[in-house]
Amino acid sequence: MALWGMVIDLDRCTGCQACVMACKAENNVPAVGAKEALRGRIISWMQVLTEGDEEHPGEKMRFLPRPCLQCDDPPCTKVCPVYATYRNPEGIVAQIYARCIGCRFCMAACPYNAKYFNWRLYQKDAPGQNPDVSVRPKGVVEKCTFCHHRLQKARERALAEKREMSPGEYVPACGEACPARAIIFGDLSDPGSEVSRLAKSPRAFRLQEELGTKPKVIYLTEGEGRG
Amino acid sequence: MAERAPDGDAILLAPIERTGPGFYWSVGALSLLILWGAMAYWTQFREGLGVTGLHQPVSWGFYVTNFVFFIGISHAGTLISAILRLSKAEWRRPVTRMAEVITVMVLFIGAGQILVDLGRPDRALNVLRYGRYQSPLLWDATSISAYLTASIVYLYIPMIPDIAILRDRLQKRKLLYTVLALGWTGSPRQQKVLNRAIAIMAVLVIPIAISVHSVVSFVFSMTLQPMWRSTIFGPYFVVGAIFSGIAALIVAMLVFRKAYGLERYLKPIHFRYLGQLLLVMSLLWFYFTFAEYLTAYYGNEPEEMHVFWAKFSGPFWPFFWGMALTNFVVPVLCLVRLRSHTLGKVLTASLSVSVGMWLERFIIVVPTLSNPRLPFGEGMYWPTWVEWGELAGSFALFALFYLLFTKLFPVISIWEIREGRELGLKEVEERLLSYLPDTSEPAVVETERR
Amino acid sequence: MSPPSSPSARTVRAIQWAMAAMAVLFIGGIITWITHLIRTAWRLKDVPSASIGISLVAIPVFVTLLGVILYVFWGLLGDRGSPEGASAPPAARHGDRRPGESAWKP
Repeated sequence: MALWGMVIDLDRCTGCQACVMACKAENNVPAVGAKEALRGRIISWMQVLTEGDEEHPGEKMRFLPRPCLQCDDPPCTKVCPVYATYRNPEGIVAQIYARCIGCRFCMAACPYNAKYFNWRLYQKDAPGQNPDVSVRPKGVVEKCTFCHHRLQKARERALAEKREMSPGEYVPACGEACPARAIIFGDLSDPGSEVSRLAKSPRAFRLQEELGTKPKVIYLTEGEGRG
Repeated sequence: MAERAPDGDAILLAPIERTGPGFYWSVGALSLLILWGAMAYWTQFREGLGVTGLHQPVSWGFYVTNFVFFIGISHAGTLISAILRLSKAEWRRPVTRMAEVITVMVLFIGAGQILVDLGRPDRALNVLRYGRYQSPLLWDATSISAYLTASIVYLYIPMIPDIAILRDRLQKRKLLYTVLALGWTGSPRQQKVLNRAIAIMAVLVIPIAISVHSVVSFVFSMTLQPMWRSTIFGPYFVVGAIFSGIAALIVAMLVFRKAYGLERYLKPIHFRYLGQLLLVMSLLWFYFTFAEYLTAYYGNEPEEMHVFWAKFSGPFWPFFWGMALTNFVVPVLCLVRLRSHTLGKVLTASLSVSVGMWLERFIIVVPTLSNPRLPFGEGMYWPTWVEWGELAGSFALFALFYLLFTKLFPVISIWEIREGRELGLKEVEERLLSYLPDTSEPAVVETERR
Repeated sequence: MSPPSSPSARTVRAIQWAMAAMAVLFIGGIITWITHLIRTAWRLKDVPSASIGISLVAIPVFVTLLGVILYVFWGLLGDRGSPEGASAPPAARHGDRRPGESAWKP
């Protein structure tokens, strides 16, 4: 059974946000419009958080791409009253739009603010959308799913061709789009995979590790003097 | 002092027998507010929660604040009615009915707030079909159902003898009163059944009430968020609930005392005792709040301190200091000396506490969400007309329910007042004698012992 | 709405039975619901201990509430065979301890 995880090398990240745009295109994330954006309602499953560099204030920025960290002990699934979000056996924290009642308890519980809400009906079915991903109605919560539909497609293709799916066939849109190859994706339970190797790197750290959420997105700290 | 006025207790039945213009004006005014609330909710139902001021990261605001606030007020009924009954406090007699009615009516409003807060209220039944007991919201659902059921039972059973009076004395609504009176004749066996049932309910309702607000607090304290993850929340919320409940009860008592001319029944002494209870709860509330904030400040954990300073001196300082003023300074100043101007002081303190406790809930819910751990932009929360309308409509709906109740049933328990007149003195005298040392031949007993 | 004369004892009795039945259905429904939630959690292996733990407290509470309701119905309605029926006017009896039935002197 695979355990899907991601390593993000902060040294390579340039803050270009190609991952953000690829994610939005791939997952039919709605553009909420300027008015809603001003009110703080942008939906961005992959979001690049920025912080001014402390040693070079005003000159350098630090970037942190933050997808859903797909925790192994997710605080969001604990509090959902209707089984609308749960951790599946392969480690991906799923979101069931048809079940969600919009109570937003999971949003209040997530320490990474990785969950987003459809405050209005932001889009209907329209041409140009990715047909593999459902379009969310108003009043439900959504979040990054490690492009789970791509996993399903890759598995079905392998099944149709009567072979095993090879690990490189399943990559989320952000990992595929990153021009600096800062996002590495794979099976953490496979000791030979690149993610497993990098996860053990001395540069590796997890965000808010002390909270015990056991996130499966592992970051590699920036260069010398910061490791 | 216990003599009856020439008209007996007829004034207690007057609102049920006759309706004056004041009633229609009140219903009219309340209906306008309810209409505003209904329009606000209809707008939200059509367009989504986007019509509120909620956003990322402040995804909970007025509605969750109102939920905690209204459920908190529901503690008026139980604690006053049940605890005073169990401790045999004779001064409870004119107060219990009003307290119990508050609890029942406000629980509906409180539970309704959560329905209003849902992004998909059309899927509310999912909680019944697919509920997860690991989620504190399901603990809420169970606990509040238990409390609502228990409160309705605890309101209805002591009303039965009064309903029998209505059945026998009034001409209108005969069917309603006859059915609800359950054949009450006052026979000794019926009295035994009634008193036993009331005693059981008084004991049962207290742990249920405590569980309700503890479980509401667990919605916050079971998350990992700074200044929510606090072990003190359970008792803190219960204390706050009792505090706000007493204040709401005092306001309701003063309103109906004026409106229905109940000065003979609701005397300054009752308000003095309730005022003293309110003072004690104010001090207790202050103690819990002080302990909570001192612990956060002393630990100086960075993420908690972000939230702390946001409340203390940041964007939320008016609400935080307003809360301290209205929940502690004003009540303590008003309530320390209650011998003079009792009613005025007690009313001021209660109104102040009602505002203050709403601010307290707001201060708990919003600043934590507004200061997330990760470096997002800080989101300030500005409620819209929809949220104000919903708040106004909720208050007005509660007031309307209460008002309609007083038109159907007596708002002061007639039979308990009579029981107090006819049996109270004797019972209290017997009890007092049982506390004091026995007076039969004391000298003989002492010498023999030596 | 209702006629000035007393309503028929049969109507009254029927409605009272209906009230008792509704109480049983309501609380029975809640207990069924709680059991359903336990079964769902068990089937999905999603922390069934939480469901069981809560139901160990919640179900006895609801059963007790139902018990009190039915006890009151039985205790009060069962005694109406004695002195007065439901719609007879009260007799003025002094000296008895009778909440709600002391002589009414307007």
